[in-house]
Amino acid sequence: MTTIVGIKTNEGVVLGSDKRASKGFFIGSKITQKITKIDDTLAVAIAGQLSDAEYLIKVSKAERRLIELRRGFPLTVKESARLIANLAYSGMKNYQPYFVELLVAGVDQEGGHIYAADMSGAITSEDFASSGSGSPIAYGVLESTYHKEITNEEAKQIATKAVSAAMERDPGSGNGIDLLAIPNLIMEVAR
Amino acid sequence: MAEAGNYGARYPYFYGPEGRLVLVDSALEAVRRGSTTIGIKTPAFAMLASHIKPVRPLIDPAEKIFTIDGHVGATGSGYIGDILQLIEELRLEAQKHRLSFESPIDVGSLAKHLGSFLHNYTIYAVRPQAASVIVAGFDQTGLQLYQVDPSGTFMRGSGFAIGQSSDIALDVVQQEFSADMSIEQAVALSNKAIEKALGERPVVEIGVVSAQDRQFQKLR
Repeated sequence: MTTIVGIKTNEGVVLGSDKRASKGFFIGSKITQKITKIDDTLAVAIAGQLSDAEYLIKVSKAERRLIELRRGFPLTVKESARLIANLAYSGMKNYQPYFVELLVAGVDQEGGHIYAADMSGAITSEDFASSGSGSPIAYGVLESTYHKEITNEEAKQIATKAVSAAMERDPGSGNGIDLLAIPNLIMEVAR
Repeated sequence: MAEAGNYGARYPYFYGPEGRLVLVDSALEAVRRGSTTIGIKTPAFAMLASHIKPVRPLIDPAEKIFTIDGHVGATGSGYIGDILQLIEELRLEAQKHRLSFESPIDVGSLAKHLGSFLHNYTIYAVRPQAASVIVAGFDQTGLQLYQVDPSGTFMRGSGFAIGQSSDIALDVVQQEFSADMSIEQAVALSNKAIEKALGERPVVEIGVVSAQDRQFQKLR
């Protein structure tokens, strides 16, 4: 249940989500935050078990801060995604998987990146991605409207469209849309 | 004061009367008897040069310049067995980073890891590793050159010398260092520095990583 989308743009990345948390056939919450900022350059959109996702995010947030302090410059988006995926993978291999599908989105020296990470520990780099029960519907919108030279403002509109379409037909998604745009940073690393 | 002196004499792994760790000092002394080894970094490249002690005609000289990962190389001075163990530790840490983050490790993290690895040997009643290591590499933050000592101290810089008569060698490097020299000039400078330190024409092994190709390569 849920619809989340992530779009890579030429200005950074955009995440979108609905706000419904389902408890079986009951709407458990209408104001759920499914997009969590790890820091100013990285965010994660959550589909699946919220408790598992929150735990993964808490651990990776701490780990990311520690590594940045130790080595003096932040993790790339890919490194962060791999960090989360390794936790997910060890969970799966211990027969206690984290029931999550995450979109890891952020910007680094190379620009914007979207990674889809699931409970198996696999990560894939995507131009755009969607997850949750509404994703087949959201993908329909994304496939027909995404293009490579997309701006953050345009991506916000497409994300809104995609999540709206999913909310119309997917009973697991609804109650409004959250959006997050992370602009590229021009950052000079001390040499 | 006399009490403290006796204490240090009986337990060499405690602080001596001057507040020094006797075993660490001994390890540094062992490094000072090792082969003269030099690291030079300019904005264009980082180079490692290690003197190979003359061996008997039927014995091949030991390898002294080591590839740690594609983008990092290291060399050391001191007991060769200890150097090899530290090199192995660096290689292991580099591959662990690739496993965890799917990216090459930065040289600073490698130097820091080796520093804490060595530091561990200074707080127990064990023999500290008698080896100083110079690490050179290219990472996300550019070209990097580090020296790591048996005490766990690590330093970032553009010119290092360790091993036999390293203070003389370092003087030569400091005097003739220039930021715009070529790899060939740096090799010549390290040869000159080692020759001045030892008073003989040295046989030298060289490794270079340049900002252009970003790969560590052994030259000879």
